[in-house]
Amino acid sequence: MATTLGLTIAVTALSTLIGLALAWTLFNVDLPLKSTLQALVILPVAIPSYVFTYSWISLIPGFKGLWAALFVLVLATTPYITLTTLAALRRSDWSTYEVAQTLGLSGFQIFVRITWPQIKNSVAAGSLLSALYVLSDFGAISLLGVDTLTRAIENIYRGSFDRSSASILALILVAISALVIRLEERSRHKLRIIKSSSRIIKRAKASDKFKVKVIALLGIGLYLALGLVIPLFQLLSIFLANSTSINYSLLFQASLSTLIAACLGALIALALALPVGVLSAQGSRLGRVSDKAILIVHALPGIVMGLALVSFGSSIGWLYQSLLLLSFAYALLFMAKAVGSVRSSFDRVPKNLIEISATLGQRKSATFRRVVVPLATPGLLSGTLLVLLAAMKELPATLMLKPIGFETLATQMWSYSSIFRFNEAAPYALLLVLIAAIPTFLINRPDKSDGIGDDQI
Amino acid sequence: MTSLEIRDLTVELGNRVILKNLDLTISSGSFAAILGPSGCGKTTLLRSIAGLITPKGGAIRFGKQLVSVSSLVLPPHKRNIGYVPQEGGLFPHLSVEENVSFSLGKKTSKKEREELVEELLDLVGMPNYQKRLPQELSGGQQTRVALARALAMKPAMILLDEPFAALDQTLRAEISQEVVGLLKSSRTTSIMVTHDREDALVSADIIALMRDGQVVQSGNPAEVYLKPISAAAAESTGDILTLPANKVEGDQYRTPLNSPVEQIGQRAGYESGQILVRPEEIALSLEPGERRVSAKISKINYYGHDALVELNVAGLSQVVRARVTDTKGLEVGSTIFVSHKGPIRWVPDKATDQ
Repeated sequence: MATTLGLTIAVTALSTLIGLALAWTLFNVDLPLKSTLQALVILPVAIPSYVFTYSWISLIPGFKGLWAALFVLVLATTPYITLTTLAALRRSDWSTYEVAQTLGLSGFQIFVRITWPQIKNSVAAGSLLSALYVLSDFGAISLLGVDTLTRAIENIYRGSFDRSSASILALILVAISALVIRLEERSRHKLRIIKSSSRIIKRAKASDKFKVKVIALLGIGLYLALGLVIPLFQLLSIFLANSTSINYSLLFQASLSTLIAACLGALIALALALPVGVLSAQGSRLGRVSDKAILIVHALPGIVMGLALVSFGSSIGWLYQSLLLLSFAYALLFMAKAVGSVRSSFDRVPKNLIEISATLGQRKSATFRRVVVPLATPGLLSGTLLVLLAAMKELPATLMLKPIGFETLATQMWSYSSIFRFNEAAPYALLLVLIAAIPTFLINRPDKSDGIGDDQI
Repeated sequence: MTSLEIRDLTVELGNRVILKNLDLTISSGSFAAILGPSGCGKTTLLRSIAGLITPKGGAIRFGKQLVSVSSLVLPPHKRNIGYVPQEGGLFPHLSVEENVSFSLGKKTSKKEREELVEELLDLVGMPNYQKRLPQELSGGQQTRVALARALAMKPAMILLDEPFAALDQTLRAEISQEVVGLLKSSRTTSIMVTHDREDALVSADIIALMRDGQVVQSGNPAEVYLKPISAAAAESTGDILTLPANKVEGDQYRTPLNSPVEQIGQRAGYESGQILVRPEEIALSLEPGERRVSAKISKINYYGHDALVELNVAGLSQVVRARVTDTKGLEVGSTIFVSHKGPIRWVPDKATDQ
């Protein structure tokens, strides 16, 4: 447990610093190919932690232990902070920076006194996402042999099928996560106040000193090399070296399974999230209460959800180890993301348009169909994609709940790499990253300025 | 085309009373302006008429139809009212054509729909804009499309909420005249909310002056400008100077500007009152004379077609403003002679000014 807490705090602190630096640099320094860089920096979100670990282990044979876990998890969680911070910077009111300059503040003073207050809630939200990620991480931790709570739960469950000891550990994990969620909720509440200002952001000329640019590019380059290029290159080279011995039909089968299970999970999540999101956007009491309940579920690490649904499913024969139960687990695990998107996209439908529709003779139902739904659709889509992305990467719950003989890219890769058959694992890892990159890219298109979903990944 | 009658309307939002016992009558086919400072409740009034707010009490009638009385409120979609909010409020996901034809039901054929849209876009001076999206239009164009959209449902009444506030000044005069002309010629009862005195005075048949949730005076523009019922009402329509008028002896009153107050003999009985003076009713001359009071020029605001001269009159704490067309011989710091030409506008003292 000390390991879990220590690792969580260390990773969160480091990734917050790096993520903040990356976002600030990308926003303020006038770099070549800026929008491409912005998209690339976010892309590691598509790489599950166990894939990171796998590629580094295969590159450096002795890669193991706490420090390795720290390294991998910082790489994996930094994009969450970059993402939320960039979104907040884009939303922030640029004219305040200009006013601050005219009032004689230096660059650093502007950051401390003007920028930081405007973005700190978003940065905090990102940090807490990162903390939750570390708390619930299972894949990287077990590959690297670090004894955290998730791994202990898994070991007890696998070793002795002792559900009650596993449950006690799981409860401790849930308690810590719930605490983190509580903090996130508080920051989210304040975040909304900032969002409500709809002023047009005018961009001034970004910094263009040559020295600054070089340092910025080096920093971003280093991050991309460690977090994106080297792992991908490693996967690719193992894949190419063994391309003749790959069982392509198995690979295809696993991709299909991944897509089916994840899509089903995303659709269930959307269906469940719609009423909650709508109610919560309307400010109804029922909506708020269920919203909170779902947030708590969000704190459940995948392994705990797996454990819970195994007990639940095993009491209902036909449900146990069925595809439906697995998709349902995805939906439950990641529903908070979907609800957040649904709520914010309905929140963003201007109230006056709804009123105008009423004065134009439209009933509430017609207004909903003709005005609210079309305006909310992009946000709903990105919410669904968020769930899809998370579900494709999910490992521990999938391992516990998958039907016998049903292998996704993640589980297949896992079963090879946990017995150190790296060559066979590579194509699965590579394909998983490639498929996961699609929703990541769609959610975070660089040309999309309003950034719906930016702060919910 | 219908008349509007509001009796005793009270609206509370949260725990704040926004409108209290408000009365207003607007005759059929007229163009009315509701004029008042921001926060006086004018937008709330408009929203109550549209049915977007449930009043706490009072009645609203369209013609003979009662649309709102205590808890019985006709929902907005049944009121047949065209509402043009600030900045237009066009649906961003729909083209101009789809916006304008939004209220037309399924019964309208495609051809009829297209014809009506074309006709309305011609009317608002935006032909061939059917396929454009709202974000491709300027502020003034958005307002005009919003108006076409409201007109498409052949509304009994059109409500405009500060429709020209987002426009710059030159465009504003042009577009407001166009829009007002259009609405007047269509003989649709129209109600516009504004905080701009000129907008209201130029365009409206009826002006209702609002202060603190009540209509303090309504009437045609000349009436409300020239015959305000109180200092507050006078202030709503333009610059005003309030002079104390004290009884000297018998029926004789005096003001610090030696106003010709003899004509107000019928006011006999009041110990004191107030005289409301517009800047254009102050005359300046370089020579002293009967009824002229000496004053010092403290500031001259030159507007081209005329100028506003600020004066300090001995024994008067307020600044006196005079609107003059000729600034020859006037200099800041020099002494000048001021007289009040009249007419005399008497209101009782502030204590009874309700």
